[in-house]
Amino acid sequence: MRNSSSLAGSADPNAIARRLMQRAHNRDGLPEIAVGLYFLLASALIYAQVVLPRQSIGFIAAVLTFSLLFPVVCIGSPWTLKWVRRRYLIERVGYVEYEPIGRRQIGFGIMLAVLVVLALFGVVPRLSQPDRWLLAGTGLFGGALMAWCGRLPRFVIGGVVMAATGVFVAFAGVSLQIGFTMLFGFQGLVTLVSGCVVFLRFIRQPIETGE
Amino acid sequence: MSAKIQRLAEVDRIIHEPARLMVVALLAAVKEADFQYLHQSTRLTKGNLSVHLSKLEEAGYIAIEKTFRGKYPLTICRLTERGRGVLNNYRKIIKAAL
Repeated sequence: MRNSSSLAGSADPNAIARRLMQRAHNRDGLPEIAVGLYFLLASALIYAQVVLPRQSIGFIAAVLTFSLLFPVVCIGSPWTLKWVRRRYLIERVGYVEYEPIGRRQIGFGIMLAVLVVLALFGVVPRLSQPDRWLLAGTGLFGGALMAWCGRLPRFVIGGVVMAATGVFVAFAGVSLQIGFTMLFGFQGLVTLVSGCVVFLRFIRQPIETGE
Repeated sequence: MSAKIQRLAEVDRIIHEPARLMVVALLAAVKEADFQYLHQSTRLTKGNLSVHLSKLEEAGYIAIEKTFRGKYPLTICRLTERGRGVLNNYRKIIKAAL
């Protein structure tokens, strides 16, 4: 067990709570596994749109699934994580009921989404090689988001890997869809492996019973 | 400036202790949490955490409820209004002084 004074070093209770909750949330690796699976699925669906003939049922299904994937994952993954933890891991992770998401956080999320859409449709098409900028921008933005949201060394490393992959793919001279397939596929694999390693280490720890 | 620093003497000594500050800060950010979650999040030993929770409960800063979820015993902790007020006051004093 670590010395508690080192953890409370900042003296700002908000900062302490954020750091502790962040660490607790990512302790079992399940959020990374969910993100990794999402990236791999997105990659597979984009690739399906490349290889399947247009107008085929498979192609239409891939387009529809891809368009629904992000909202379904955003809404469904927190609920699924909570269910899995309470059903199978409660003795290890404990029980917690979070406060509902605040207006400030919702407002920040909407503002970020609006900025992304504006950049996507307002700025990128005017650039000389929009496909390259889109790939590099997705890698850089995704990597920064991952590092900022995770705030743990392994997320920062994952973010740097995503940013580097985005830039590499942008200059590799591949088509936009193949570029996204490579970017999301590689990032999904990295994130999934990292999550599985953390999960296995977590699950192998002995359960301490009693209070 | 010196008045702000002198106010540091007014900080609540029960939550100024680092381990208890961690517990109170965590409970201020969630609706409720059980003993195991606090133990895992703070990495305090169970005995140490138990003592700190008792002190916070005695001071009326947290409420503790013992219950079960199936066969799993839950010791659920919540921050009381009094605890939230003391934490807010602590935050103000520290922010002003530092």
